[in-house]
Amino acid sequence: MSWVQASLLARGLSRGWGGICSTALSGAPAQVSLQAARGLHRSAVIHRDDVWLVPQPPEPQRKPIKVPVLHEELFTPSANGEQDKASFLRAVRSFGEHSVRKRGHVDFIYLALRKMPEFGVERDLSVYNLLLDVFPKEVFRPRNIIQRIFVHYPRQQECGIAVLEQMERHGVMPNTETEFLLTQIFGRTSYPMLKFLRMKLWLTRFKNINPYPVPRDLPQDPLDLAKLSLRHMEPDLSAKVTVYQMSLPSESTGIDPIQPHIVGIQSPDQQAALARHNPSKPVFVEGPFPLWLRNKCVYYHILRADLPLPEEENVEEIPEEWNLYYPMKLDLEYSRSGWDNYEFDLDEVTEGPVFAMCMAGAHDQATLVKWIQGLQETNPTLAQIPVVFRLARSTGELLTTSRLEGQSPPDGPPKGQEEDEGLQTQPQQGQS
Amino acid sequence: MSGCGFFSRGAAVVATAATAVRASRVPRVFTVTHRPLHTSLQSRSFAKELFLGNIEQKGVFPFPEISQDELSEINQFVGPVERFFNDEVDSRKIDQEGKIPVDTLEKLKSLGLFGIQVPEEYGGLGLSNTMYARLGEIFSMDGSITVTLAAHQAIGLKGIILVGNEEQKAKYLPKLASGEHIAAFCLTEPASGSDAASIQTRATLSEDKKHFVLNGSKVWITNGGLASIFTVFAKTEVVDSDGSVKDKITAFIVERDFGGITNGKPEEKLGIRGSNTCEVHFENTRVPVENVLGEVGGGFKVAMNILNSGRFSMGSVVAGMLKKLIELTAEYACTRKQFNRNLSEFGLIQEKFALMAQKAYVMESMTYLTAGMLDQPGFPDCSIEAAMVKVFSSEAAWQCVSEALQILGGSGYMKDYPYERFLRDSRILLIFEGTNEILRLFIALTGLQHAGRILTSRIKELKRGNVSTVMETIGQKLRDSLGRTVDLGLSGNPAVVHPSLGDSANKLEENVYYFGRTVETLLLRFGKTIVEEQLVLKRVANILINLYGMTAVLSRASRSIRTGLPNHDHEVLLANMFCVEAYFQNLFSLTQLDKYAPENLDEQIKKVSQQILEKRAYICAHPLDRTS
Repeated sequence: MSWVQASLLARGLSRGWGGICSTALSGAPAQVSLQAARGLHRSAVIHRDDVWLVPQPPEPQRKPIKVPVLHEELFTPSANGEQDKASFLRAVRSFGEHSVRKRGHVDFIYLALRKMPEFGVERDLSVYNLLLDVFPKEVFRPRNIIQRIFVHYPRQQECGIAVLEQMERHGVMPNTETEFLLTQIFGRTSYPMLKFLRMKLWLTRFKNINPYPVPRDLPQDPLDLAKLSLRHMEPDLSAKVTVYQMSLPSESTGIDPIQPHIVGIQSPDQQAALARHNPSKPVFVEGPFPLWLRNKCVYYHILRADLPLPEEENVEEIPEEWNLYYPMKLDLEYSRSGWDNYEFDLDEVTEGPVFAMCMAGAHDQATLVKWIQGLQETNPTLAQIPVVFRLARSTGELLTTSRLEGQSPPDGPPKGQEEDEGLQTQPQQGQS
Repeated sequence: MSGCGFFSRGAAVVATAATAVRASRVPRVFTVTHRPLHTSLQSRSFAKELFLGNIEQKGVFPFPEISQDELSEINQFVGPVERFFNDEVDSRKIDQEGKIPVDTLEKLKSLGLFGIQVPEEYGGLGLSNTMYARLGEIFSMDGSITVTLAAHQAIGLKGIILVGNEEQKAKYLPKLASGEHIAAFCLTEPASGSDAASIQTRATLSEDKKHFVLNGSKVWITNGGLASIFTVFAKTEVVDSDGSVKDKITAFIVERDFGGITNGKPEEKLGIRGSNTCEVHFENTRVPVENVLGEVGGGFKVAMNILNSGRFSMGSVVAGMLKKLIELTAEYACTRKQFNRNLSEFGLIQEKFALMAQKAYVMESMTYLTAGMLDQPGFPDCSIEAAMVKVFSSEAAWQCVSEALQILGGSGYMKDYPYERFLRDSRILLIFEGTNEILRLFIALTGLQHAGRILTSRIKELKRGNVSTVMETIGQKLRDSLGRTVDLGLSGNPAVVHPSLGDSANKLEENVYYFGRTVETLLLRFGKTIVEEQLVLKRVANILINLYGMTAVLSRASRSIRTGLPNHDHEVLLANMFCVEAYFQNLFSLTQLDKYAPENLDEQIKKVSQQILEKRAYICAHPLDRTS
């Protein structure tokens, strides 16, 4: 018992020591003593993972003098400018040939990790295994109890963990080869191995935790993406996706479509609800609302109404002669009693009905009017209902920094709108 | 075993007693010695009284009998019909060709089988329900003929007998009874099964107010291609008493000669392939106003009456089929040798025969009990009983035919033998004339409605609550929980039920008593919203069917012993066996109906199906799937 406590304490301390080592190696020498004290007192928890594990790449704007990173030249694009798995593998292999003693392999691995997304191999397990293979074998394995208690070769172990962390971020499951490599490099009782075991345990459990899974590769075509997003939001499988307008890019720019795409979704229930809607009450087109799909943000609009007042809600009466076989209602004067009410006393905020959703290439009123016109074909009653556009100017949401794709997001912020910031109503009676 | 069941029941009652105190009410629940609350003679149906925890003995004990004259009369009919079915009907050919040969139909007509229940003054046989049931046993040898005849007279022309006026009867019944005209019942539409509101067929009054013009399509009409007379249900505009115009259903007698009637081609079916089922289209068919059946706008009630009245005969049909099946399979089991022993020596085979005999016995008893009730003067309301017979017999048919096939092993599966045809033919029984699911709801809700009316006043008083009623209730619940003996008058002195069935009678009484209590609790718990609790209603219906079956076999076996019918000891065995089984099934169902019963999985069932239906697929991962 006490031995276990002691060993745990020792591990905590060694974490601290790890902190010292890492800061000592990367930080300025003048602050070593100060940072050492902090590391000892607070242990490793204070380090934000990324700071601790992956040293930030030198940011050019902060450091005016760009320090060339070691081995950067290995990853320079080849003559034909291709950046693919083959060239990445070539770079890693050439490092092995280049320095037989593997000097600077930690720096090289960090660099390679940063470069992986550029080469599109960040989800490739074999590449991670190859990177781990860069580590020299057997050297960092602890050989005695003291080495085992304290972090043996902390910088190398952190580097190993960084590899595993990046795998985790991209949802790559380690396999037995990874395990074999890690035991060879760091031994069974090491932090990378611990990380590996934790990944084995938790990644499997978290892999399918989202009940509404988003496909890994989102469609590039904004129209397909819109269809996917609408399906993603609509729980009713009977709902029908309708393309009201295909996008026609103008020849001049090619970016700003003069005729943006409009895709809508409506379920039969929503259609019936819209048909029942009291025509004297307006319906609202609201939006744009953001929807995140992996690293993409798309915007959608809804057609909704306010909650009908309780007195207006016409209670559905059961027709007298409805069911040929059995009575649909009992002629009793009492209903479910309080002592058999299974529901908790909740303050339920009911929202008004949503009648349809759409995604469009542009978020201005002119485009959305076309959507409403399209909806009128399947919902004739909509022609009698006043439609009010309540469009927000700003989405209030970040744009995707799609540095991976290297292109602008498909749905930019709403532009070309007359309204000011915030919600503004602009009634537009009697469309069509 | 019985003690065990009893305790679990007792514990559950205590649990409800506690909640009952909280709600502070409860009237004196029916004392055993006298039965209050008999509103009128008409509503004193046996099944409805069961919902109040009473056993209404009138009409049930003793088992209804027919006179010697009637018996010999029916036997005169049965002989030739049976000979005809044995010698001349080739069921296999009918099944393969999908058609009943014309000469077979002609012979059926000459035997008078197209007008069994048509009154004699209109040229029919004018037989009672009991005798109709007896004849049904013989038709059962061929499913297609049974269905053709049933569609003709149990529903097709039944409307004319039930609500037709004198002219209509005189005009149509003689030809229908002779079989010159065949009748069909046109209710189902593509969009309307049991939902009367979605009927699309429309009848509009012509300008001279002498005709209705009928337009629309009906599907799955049995005899649709053969029939000359149709009972058609269509929407008509009816001016209400307050002056508003409403769409209401009206029944019409439509002759094929009115014009504008076309058929689709006969449907290919799984079973009863010889019967003619097809679509019937009406296009501007002009129906004279005299041909309105009942009142204009009163078609809904007509349809309900026809449907409710036609059901009980299924019991005797299935019983007839089972009896024949038992003969065939027993022959096989006693001759087929395996390991130098006859199949009949194996326990697992013997079990199947016991099951078939038991089911046949129960459904026979239920059918003839119901028929006897129906034959009592004054149009007694036996719709619940008839529905129970239908549900029980159709399910027993499916189960027993399947077991019979099992006895035969591979031969049962082959087309060379008739068994697979029996299996195919019997599958429809669970579906038509109201699916069993719908009939269960009908059974439960109709009974609950009756019980609810009578209990409403009592429960109201109880909800207001005064100290004495509360104390009384607690006392009664305590007595119940201590396992009181229930006496509903079946085993008094002189006993209604023969003493050799005394144990079973006690079981029935106990079940009935606690069923009444449970119904009361359910109504108190759910009130009107019990309509939405279909899983609860299903259990209520299942218990009621068992109770009715128990009553029927007890009554019949008692009569058999007392009148000294042959093999009555066999009947006693079957009756006791069924009663014990049903008793424990009922105890289990009653326990499930208690609040918070661990046996009740309704919540889980609902959740599972909800998750599946949301995705519209089986959502479990494949057993071979991995995450890493």
